[in-house]
Amino acid sequence: MIDEKVIEIINTSLASEFELDIDKMVPEALLFEDLGLDSLDRVDTVILLEQAFKFKIREEEEIRQIRTLGDIHTFVIKKIQSLRETEGAIQ
Amino acid sequence: MNLIIYPLVVLWTLSGIIFFPIVFLFWRVILRWDSARIMRLFIWLYGRGWLVIMSPFLQFRRMGFDKGTIKPPYIIVINHLSFFDFWCMALLPFSNVVVAVRSWPFKMPWFAPFMKLAGYLDVESLGWTGSLSSGAEILRKGGSVLFFPEGHRSRDGKLQRFYSGPFKLSEETGINILPLCITGTDMFLPPGSWWMIPAKIYLKALTPIDPKDFHMTLGHMKLQKHTKTMIAQNLAEMRKA
Repeated sequence: MIDEKVIEIINTSLASEFELDIDKMVPEALLFEDLGLDSLDRVDTVILLEQAFKFKIREEEEIRQIRTLGDIHTFVIKKIQSLRETEGAIQ
Repeated sequence: MNLIIYPLVVLWTLSGIIFFPIVFLFWRVILRWDSARIMRLFIWLYGRGWLVIMSPFLQFRRMGFDKGTIKPPYIIVINHLSFFDFWCMALLPFSNVVVAVRSWPFKMPWFAPFMKLAGYLDVESLGWTGSLSSGAEILRKGGSVLFFPEGHRSRDGKLQRFYSGPFKLSEETGINILPLCITGTDMFLPPGSWWMIPAKIYLKALTPIDPKDFHMTLGHMKLQKHTKTMIAQNLAEMRKA
C-alpha cells in the first residue's frame, strides 16, 4: 500500500467517525487543539486504525507520543513497513 | 418585559438564598435525604420559579413526557442553543439530575457553591476518566446525568459535533440514553445577549435508547451517531411545525 493511500484511509476514517472538517486535516494539525478531539477520541482513534489496517497497536508505547495528524500518518506508515519486513523475514 | 423580569429573577434568587438553609435543614434532618439530592431538588424548584416568572412572556410546551413512559435514571443528551437551556431543565418531570458542564459555570461565585453541593460534574477539570467514573456513581445511586454533547452553544442552530463521553458512559453502565430536543431558547436569549425576546419554547423527549442494541466494537460511536440522527430529524420537524 503506497503512503498516499494510507494517508487517505486515515484521514477519511477519522473525518467520517469524528465529523472532522477535511480541510482542517493537514499533517501539522494538533489532534486536541486544532481538530477538537478529546482523550476518549484518542482511544477510539487507536481502535479505528486497528480496524482499518488490521493490526494491533494499542499496547505500543509510541502511541503516547502522538500529537498531530502527521504523527499518526508517520506511525501507521512505519508500522505497515515493519510488518512487511517481519513477514519477509519469515518467508 | 426585561425591566420586569430581571428584578423578579433577582428577588426570586435572593429569597432562594435566604430560605434555602431552612429548607435544606428540614430535608436533611427530618427526611434524611443526602445533601446533593436536596440541592438538586432545590435547583429544580428554583428553575420552576424562573419558568413561572417568564411564563407571561414565554410559551412552554413539553412533549413526549407522557406518564409511565419516562423511567429515570437516564443519561440525558440535549442540543444546546442558549444559556437559558439550563433553566428549561426545570420542565423535566424529575429533579434528581446532575448536569455535566465545562469549567466556566463553576467560576461564577453565585452559582458555584450550589453546583458543587449538587454534585454537578466539571468535565474539563475531571477529564473524561474522572467524569465517567463520577457519572457512573451518580447513576448507581439513582440519579440521572445530563450532557450537552455539543460542548458549546450552537451559534446558528445547527447541530455541532457530538462528543462521545455520554455514550461511553451509557455503554459502560448499561443505562439508557434519553435524547431531548429543545427549540426557541435561541430566539428568547440568543448567545452573547442578555436582552430577552418573547418566544415559544418546546422541549421534546424522544424514545429512550438502550445501549445493549449497540453492543459491538466502537458501539458507543454508533450509539452517538444514532442519537444525533434522531435529534437532528426531530429538531427539523419541530422547527417546520
